[in-house]
Amino acid sequence: MLEVKDLHGGYGKITILNGISFSIPKASITTVIGPNGAGKSTVFKAIFGLLHIDSGQILLEGRDVTRQTPRQMIAHGVTYVPQGRNVVPQLSVYHNLELGGIASPDQAKVRQRIEAVMDQFPMLREFRNRKAIELSGGQQKQLEVARSLLLDPKLILIDEPSIGLSPNLVQEVFATLQRLRDQGVTILMVEQNAKAALAMSDYGLVLELGQTRMHDQAAKLLADPRVGQLFLGGHVENAALAGAD
Amino acid sequence: MSQFLQVLLSGLATGSIYALVAVGFTLVWQAAQTVNFAQGEFVMVPAFFVLVGTHVVGLPLWLALALALVVSVVLIGALFKKLVVEPILPSGGISLIIATMALGILLKESAKEFYGAEAQPFPAMFPTDPINIFGAVVSMQDILNLIISLGVVVLLTLFLNRTRTGRSMQAAAQNPAVAEILGVNVKRMVMYTFLINAALAALASFLITPVYLAKFSNGETLGLIAFIAAIVGGFNQIRGALVGGLLIGVLDNITATYITAEYRAALPLVLLIIVILVRPQGIMGTSEGRTV
Repeated sequence: MLEVKDLHGGYGKITILNGISFSIPKASITTVIGPNGAGKSTVFKAIFGLLHIDSGQILLEGRDVTRQTPRQMIAHGVTYVPQGRNVVPQLSVYHNLELGGIASPDQAKVRQRIEAVMDQFPMLREFRNRKAIELSGGQQKQLEVARSLLLDPKLILIDEPSIGLSPNLVQEVFATLQRLRDQGVTILMVEQNAKAALAMSDYGLVLELGQTRMHDQAAKLLADPRVGQLFLGGHVENAALAGAD
Repeated sequence: MSQFLQVLLSGLATGSIYALVAVGFTLVWQAAQTVNFAQGEFVMVPAFFVLVGTHVVGLPLWLALALALVVSVVLIGALFKKLVVEPILPSGGISLIIATMALGILLKESAKEFYGAEAQPFPAMFPTDPINIFGAVVSMQDILNLIISLGVVVLLTLFLNRTRTGRSMQAAAQNPAVAEILGVNVKRMVMYTFLINAALAALASFLITPVYLAKFSNGETLGLIAFIAAIVGGFNQIRGALVGGLLIGVLDNITATYITAEYRAALPLVLLIIVILVRPQGIMGTSEGRTV
């Protein structure tokens, strides 16, 4: 589904990605973990066309999408949910959802999708006329996830969906992502809550210093003591595991 | 009572034109997070375009107005954004504010250089015949100015709230990073904002210059009053700019009629001080965010 090959890039002259490579299969959830500064969010931005790529290649279903703009990535069926709060605060819930389909030439279909998405997230229907800023943090995150579904995406890049959410809401968001995976959507997720995220994922990807350190089935990574070591501030000595998918 | 109504209507008419200019301040603030201190001159200049059209080229008034509107949208809308805002904005809002001050001086001095320092008569777009409304005698021009200005602000609000393009403009203003990842063409939306601001300034120019006459220094007073109106109403809300403009227009007339005409120029400043002390976000403004 998505293949990233030896990606180098960063913010201007500051290089963050130092040769990240991985591939993820269709209809799967892959969680990206790693210490601060590992390049987790940066690789999402690079894939989505939000920052400079020095070298490397990104393939989506075999098609080269390296250095495409966000609008082009949306057209290819990729949506991105950044970390933090990403609603348009003064617009209503309904109009925030509508913006998720702004790139579509078929607005009648977008309206149908909004109805379908509100069926999936009944809270959004209840609060459809409320300003987005008036929703709780968890509700705003649900709105963001729902909005990312408006164009019927093939791949969702979601960054730190659990930040600021109560444990119950985190489980709700994770369950939503699993439901989407079961419907055929591919999900690539960055998550600080590594244990919980790996437990609900199919694959895991460990990044460190802008490089792929480990890439394996989520269950295997969860059982690997080196993953814990990495998050305790250590380094994975055996880099040979990189790309071992 | 009829005198009060007369003062009120006349104040609303002037205030509604201030509101048009104040809305421009709000729009540019939303789009570029800066204050355009050339806004007053943006209102002064289109009137001179009309005078060039009618006096120099010999065009009929309606055609001169239409051409002046187009030229204004291109020059003080598109070119202002392309040649001033885009290159300077990355250096920070303060740099851009200074640049707009310089632009204001350039426009003012250019108008003086090319058209002279004397106030020029400007043809009225509407009849100035007095009409009687519940005993209040007001000019037809005032009433039409009021109707057109309010109508334009209402239409603009409807456009921003009821159309996809308007909501995309709001998204680009309130959260440009999110707008971009959703596929909104943020650059285009920002450009639309500048074009609308230029059109509003041109309209304000066409409505107010028959009253004030065309003079190179018109922008100084008008820009200052509209800036204060935007702050008083709430800099991040169009409805705030509307309320601020109307309020200043009405209070100015009431003060001049019932208290003293001598200190009427001080009134907006007094109002500004009171609002900043009591409600810094303005009467309708919100302290938490940016809204178009």
